[in-house]
Amino acid sequence: MPTVTIDGCKVTVKKDETILDAARKAGIWIPTLCYHPAVPSDASCRLCMVELDRGDWRQLVTSCNYPVRRDIVVYVSSERAEAARRGVMELLLARAPESGELKALAERMGVYETRYPNVTESQRNCILCGLCVSVCEQIIGKAAIGFAGRGVDRAVAAPFRQPSEDCIGCGACAAICPVGTIKIRIHADEQEVEISPFKSRAKLLVCEQCGALVASKQVSEQALTRSNLNSEEFRASLRLCPKCRRLQTAGQLGAATFYKK
Amino acid sequence: MAQDDKIIEQIVDRYDADVGMLIPMMQDLQAECGYLPLEQLHSLAKQLSLPLSRLYAVATFYASFHLAPKGAHEVTLCVGTVCYLKGAPKISEAISREFHVETGGTTRDRLFTFQAVNCVGACAVAPVMIVDGKYYNGVTPASALEVLYGLGKNETSVEKDGET
Repeated sequence: MPTVTIDGCKVTVKKDETILDAARKAGIWIPTLCYHPAVPSDASCRLCMVELDRGDWRQLVTSCNYPVRRDIVVYVSSERAEAARRGVMELLLARAPESGELKALAERMGVYETRYPNVTESQRNCILCGLCVSVCEQIIGKAAIGFAGRGVDRAVAAPFRQPSEDCIGCGACAAICPVGTIKIRIHADEQEVEISPFKSRAKLLVCEQCGALVASKQVSEQALTRSNLNSEEFRASLRLCPKCRRLQTAGQLGAATFYKK
Repeated sequence: MAQDDKIIEQIVDRYDADVGMLIPMMQDLQAECGYLPLEQLHSLAKQLSLPLSRLYAVATFYASFHLAPKGAHEVTLCVGTVCYLKGAPKISEAISREFHVETGGTTRDRLFTFQAVNCVGACAVAPVMIVDGKYYNGVTPASALEVLYGLGKNETSVEKDGET
């Protein structure tokens, strides 16, 4: 098993684990934005750059997708690595100036302002990391959103920038968005969920017991087809909100133990 | 609509429904319709079992794909390095102002589609403007507008000779 020496600290990792995995094992913090264990790393945000010792020179590499295959020496807190990451953070701050999540991360890195002008495109506050696109396609299997345009016009959008017919309103994109730009909006009076800024909407199921809004109809259907629990009993339980389902299960358990006695 | 589906079917068959040939398929569709109509992209996505977002990504990535109908004439202005230095931005500005059209857009009356490209390989005679395949060299804002106003005037005659 190869050994990674991070800032002088030795960690052993399995072959093909990444520098980031090694650093986390060693308890050394490397800032990340576009890294998420659920999807393969695209290394698009460039925030996790570290210096890799190449013998007579050092190379800046993205730690989240650099596989460790032999013993290597990396520097996370070298002057050059820190300067590179701070530079990237300044650029990201200009892209997403309104993101609280990004500001908090910047402050943790010691970046308090950006010298670059704010980006004022249609899709502001998006760092184009692609996590939402990946999760929608690879995990949810819908690909309701994708990248549109190129260069400075590149943006994450639903086809034709219209509400997407493929969107099931699951909110995975909102959950994974590292800068909090994608949001789930609940329209209680219409019993609908809206994924902002894509304007896609889906009808929500209502709990049969208490009337609380549960998941969208499509999400419930998808859950049933994905899991092997497509029994009438399971389907019936999905018509309840999680709280009522717990109460129901507790009630059934209580009855069962009562009868046993 | 049934006929539209047939077009897509033919195009898909031409490439054995190979997803890797998506771009040629879209080019064929554009050759057929003049642009990429929404419904056609929908059925193409369906036939190839691809998400519509993939087709939209491809269509918006390449400048040669159009999602809106094109104008009767095609006006292309070179904004490559040499043309740029010789005043292409001023010509572009003049056209945009006079005809209320952005680069990449089509005039309201569908008279022409205005495109900016990076170098047409005629730098010696910059700045260059191409109208329906005819090259105009050493263009100035005034001469460019003159040519374009000419399009509007001879609308009917140009339409007839358009093919030749």
